[in-house]
Amino acid sequence: MKFIIQRDQLIASVQNVMKAISSRTVIPILTGIKIEARQDGITLTGSDSDISIESYIPAEENGTVNVEYIEEGSIVLQAKYFPDIVRKLPEKTIEIHADENLKVTIRSGKAEFNLNGQDATEYPQLPKLQTDDSFELPIDLLKSLIKQTVFAVSTMETRPILTGVNVKLENQTLTFTATDSHRLASRTIPVADTTNEFSNVVVPGKSLNELNKILDDTEDKVEISVTSNQILFRTKHLNFLSRLLDGNYPETSRLIPDQSKTVLHVKTKELLSTIDRASLLAKEERNNVVRLTTQGDQLVEIASNHPEVGNVTEEVTVSSIEGEELKISFSSKYMMDALKAIEFEDVNIEFTGALRPFIIHPANEDSILQLIVPVRTY
Amino acid sequence: METWSEVAEVQPLASKIITNSMKKDRISHAYLLQGERGTGKEAIALLIAKGIFCETNAVNEPCQTCNACKRITSGNHPDVHWIEPDGQSIKIDQIRNLQKEFTYSGLESNKKVYIIKGADTLTVNAANRILKFLEEPSKRTTAIMLTDNSQAILPTIRSRCQVIDLRPLHPTMLQKQLIEEGMHERNAVLMSTLTNRIDDAFTRINDEWFASARKIVVQLIEVLSTNPEDIFLFIHQHWVTHFKDRNEQEEGLDLLLIAMKDILYYHIENEAGIVFFAPSDELLELAARRFSQNQLVAVLQAILQAKRKLKQNVHPTLVMEQLTLQIQR
Repeated sequence: MKFIIQRDQLIASVQNVMKAISSRTVIPILTGIKIEARQDGITLTGSDSDISIESYIPAEENGTVNVEYIEEGSIVLQAKYFPDIVRKLPEKTIEIHADENLKVTIRSGKAEFNLNGQDATEYPQLPKLQTDDSFELPIDLLKSLIKQTVFAVSTMETRPILTGVNVKLENQTLTFTATDSHRLASRTIPVADTTNEFSNVVVPGKSLNELNKILDDTEDKVEISVTSNQILFRTKHLNFLSRLLDGNYPETSRLIPDQSKTVLHVKTKELLSTIDRASLLAKEERNNVVRLTTQGDQLVEIASNHPEVGNVTEEVTVSSIEGEELKISFSSKYMMDALKAIEFEDVNIEFTGALRPFIIHPANEDSILQLIVPVRTY
Repeated sequence: METWSEVAEVQPLASKIITNSMKKDRISHAYLLQGERGTGKEAIALLIAKGIFCETNAVNEPCQTCNACKRITSGNHPDVHWIEPDGQSIKIDQIRNLQKEFTYSGLESNKKVYIIKGADTLTVNAANRILKFLEEPSKRTTAIMLTDNSQAILPTIRSRCQVIDLRPLHPTMLQKQLIEEGMHERNAVLMSTLTNRIDDAFTRINDEWFASARKIVVQLIEVLSTNPEDIFLFIHQHWVTHFKDRNEQEEGLDLLLIAMKDILYYHIENEAGIVFFAPSDELLELAARRFSQNQLVAVLQAILQAKRKLKQNVHPTLVMEQLTLQIQR
């Protein structure tokens, strides 16, 4: 294998794939970066077996030449040393040459490094995903889908399947659902031009957080394809693969109540800051519980009580209250997470009694749904 | 031992059981391979893993040349997980990581294999945790547990595995092989009782540490039989300084055990059984006069007891002091 490459391009790519590489991996080969040279360009791959990132540098792009004199081949280099070497090389171009004894020479200007590589056939084979059963989304929309759901995944390993986000594509609508069995967050969006359908796909929350960090906030498209054990997010030069969680995701649609006894219309920001204040006293102990009481048809009282510290009450004016009187307690943390995730000014909160889960969604908008299970207090 | 045919020479029964179940596509969800050091546990575990992943799908012998086989040998296959004792035991964190791994789908295929080396060193917590997924294996995972000490495995774990007993190697076979490879006859007799592997035997016999360990054991018996008052001095000056870490101490006690057994054999005139000493050794006669048969049986028991105590983290110097007191009694 041999090629000459622009240093800046290589640095950017190496930085991207390094995000997937962990030093604490059990499989020795995964401490390395795989470099694969083909006539059309160079592909770098990094993986910690949960997520894998491939970064592609085309040989020629928009008239500028990135990679020259390519001889095809592939090699795995130690990720501990390679990025620093690349960053500190003196010249604008780097020559990388690997011989059949896995000896790698990196040359730039007068500096020359000789490294021992590893055999690329030892590297895990990432699935070749077909493009025909994929669909496209704008990147910023995908990022907001992730942000609005991923916070609700479970952090407990007791039910591992709940540590992931359920991704479902049915009847041209895409649904992201996450729950830790005390709350649930879901978002649906329509996806045009696909006939593809899948339902039991559960992507680990950790992978989605990582993906969210890697993607830039642009309106470019990301292409998503799913196989039986991996999901691929493909942008222009970056492929992000994640393994899926094994198991059946619980059926969540029946948890969502379809009728309500009390409906609140309220300004998101006001309610959020009130609950934030009330939670100051309730922190840590007693699961951050705050109590909400309706008073008349314009006022809601938010209160929290800590026997050793003191108590707090605050009244919030709401746009309207419909239905029965209500007194309900819930976790302020869950409520705040949910309100923050809804990026709308007004929300509707629909209650069905003090012991039944209630749902929050933006006014005049059904695509975002947050469900919280109340806390029983005496 | 890299192929089933090589394994079959040493472990005919075990290899037959496993290859047959592979042929009929009835691989058990969990195997417990038990056998002494050098009986080929790891070789068999590797072969099972290769049989499951080999691309050419050879039922009888994995091809050893395909990508999957090569990566299993080098430990780089992403769907084969090795768990080895971290220090003295397998910790609960290692099992927790393994469990987490198993909530994910496979990286390359839907099949997964996990191999637990030294399964007897699982801490109680770790062992109980592992029960969970031995009990409810997902469709295509295979657990292979390896152990030298089958008695130390929790009965609840054992009952969930297909137990495969590897038979101990015959000492005379190894002895012959060692002599053929050019080892001195007396040494070959001793090494064949200490180890089951040829290469291990040769590295030890050429090891200076082992040579002086042998000398110290001889001296200890000499001191015990001639002037027992000096025994504490001897232990502190020579024994404790030479046998430093846990493995070395255990090996020292092993050597002492064999030596004491020799004296007993000398008493009952079982000269073929004598391993540590040469049958004509004067020290043997001297020691035999000092210790009666009954005393020797008690001594052997005391040494076994001392080994157990070492395992229970009793201070090694105290163990040796107590042992020598018991021997003198």
